[in-house]
Amino acid sequence: MKFPSLSSFSSPSPMDHAQCLRLMVFNSLRAGRYIHRFWGTSTLSLDSFCAFGYPVICSRMKEIKVKDASTWCTLVPDGEPHIQSVCEDHKCSSVSVKSTPEIEKKYVHRVYDAIAPHFSSTRFAKWPKVAAFLESLPTGSLVLDAGCGNGKYLGLNSSCYFIGCDISPPLIKICVDKGHEALVADAVNLPYRTNFGDAAISIAVLHHLSTENRRKKAIEELVRVVRKGGLVLITVWAVEQEDKSLLTKWTPLTEKHVEEWRGPRSPCVRCPSSFSLESIPETEENGLSGHMKDSRESLMEDMQQSACLNPQNKDDSLVSKDGRSQQEYFVPWHLPYHRAEVSGASAVALATGLAKKDDKKGAVVYNRYYHVFGEGELERLVSGMDNAVIVDKFYDKSNCGSLCTLFMVEFGFSNMKNEIKKLLVKDTSPSLK
Amino acid sequence: MRLLTHNILSSNIKGVTNGFPLGIEVEKVVEKQVEINHDFLRNIFPKIDWKAFSDASKIMGYVELPEESPEPSVLDSDLDFLRKFHHALLELHLEEGALVCPQTGRKFPVNKGIPNMLLHEDEV
Repeated sequence: MKFPSLSSFSSPSPMDHAQCLRLMVFNSLRAGRYIHRFWGTSTLSLDSFCAFGYPVICSRMKEIKVKDASTWCTLVPDGEPHIQSVCEDHKCSSVSVKSTPEIEKKYVHRVYDAIAPHFSSTRFAKWPKVAAFLESLPTGSLVLDAGCGNGKYLGLNSSCYFIGCDISPPLIKICVDKGHEALVADAVNLPYRTNFGDAAISIAVLHHLSTENRRKKAIEELVRVVRKGGLVLITVWAVEQEDKSLLTKWTPLTEKHVEEWRGPRSPCVRCPSSFSLESIPETEENGLSGHMKDSRESLMEDMQQSACLNPQNKDDSLVSKDGRSQQEYFVPWHLPYHRAEVSGASAVALATGLAKKDDKKGAVVYNRYYHVFGEGELERLVSGMDNAVIVDKFYDKSNCGSLCTLFMVEFGFSNMKNEIKKLLVKDTSPSLK
Repeated sequence: MRLLTHNILSSNIKGVTNGFPLGIEVEKVVEKQVEINHDFLRNIFPKIDWKAFSDASKIMGYVELPEESPEPSVLDSDLDFLRKFHHALLELHLEEGALVCPQTGRKFPVNKGIPNMLLHEDEV
């Protein structure tokens, strides 16, 4: 798939922009089929879940016994204004959106720090959409990768200059050891000048942010650091409405987790209410064998290990009692014992209860926090921005949890956004690619 | 950290209105050669804040760059300038030291070539 050259944006005229947009907008169903072809060649990023034979999976899940179904506690859905309105402590409303909540410190930051080398060894396959986007950028482009992880995409286009940043120092060390330019920074507060980069990418990052305001802030930062006419590519783990019945593997949220979520610096939350934290099985990427297992086999295996049903929802749906969707998950990561000993962090993690031992698998099990995006959620967050326009979006429908990707373009002309929106509505010609 | 990266970094501390350019405290500079790409340099050149770049290169110990930003045509005609530009932009690494917020004086450490730009709780 070819993208129009960015140089066409550098001396813009309205018709040029329209032309480019025509090229870039295409039917998302076609995109789904297009991406599906890639899956067959096994070049998709291992960030994706794999699932084949949905009916088989559903029938297996029903047989699984409930584990650890002790106390249930639910949380108010994210979004600070809502939380503030139920908060009894007035001090809670002064917490900055840039301040890291406890749940992210415990179940994102510390986990990635502990698993960094092992995690990095499983992150090598490049998602074709991201690779194509990066390869389309003109020579001399400044590309900012916010949440770069092990630097998988840094330097992918050798004619561009990449700067990666991540919250995890061990992951950044891996990037720099490979010769890339990288620094330790926070995606909700990027240390870059405004409107300086040519492009920015955020690949599988936003779903680790635990409130809507933080996710919004991270998107604002991506748009801020990119010049007018620049491009931003975001991918997150999202669930399509019709696929929700697949995600019914739960770990109930216990009182312990609620305490950790609340933490000294977190926005106040109230229970009980809408939804609980659930866990879903690992993907093949953190299987203990070094090679890629058959995706269907490994998913079945992992589901049997850790799955249980949500007793509140007999129809196995994601929607909780009061109709709101459950989107908060813990995803386990199995760190093999020999890796855990090397990192050293696991002894502390086990002692503090941040991780558990699984002797059967010979691994220390960490949980990573994920906010699974609902259908249209990422689009809604982006659409709310005045200075950015969605140019393209697609879902990887071959996966159990699909990735939703958006391109956004900034324009210097305030009336351009409306013109482009008109074009997007009119122009859904299937001849576009 | 290369000087091209330094040219895009800015202090993001709460309340800071002018966080660019960051001051540089040098403890260790390392030179690492990398292949020159003329097209890349020509495209990057207009984006650089020249004053910040040439000041920073002096702090890093490289004094060959002109103070004033040269005309873009120089990139096509002057190979010597291109080599110097390339060297300062991409081959000088701040390995150990710190970056300094111009407004608050707060230091961001640079260790093993990696700047740590994370803020403390009271700075957000």
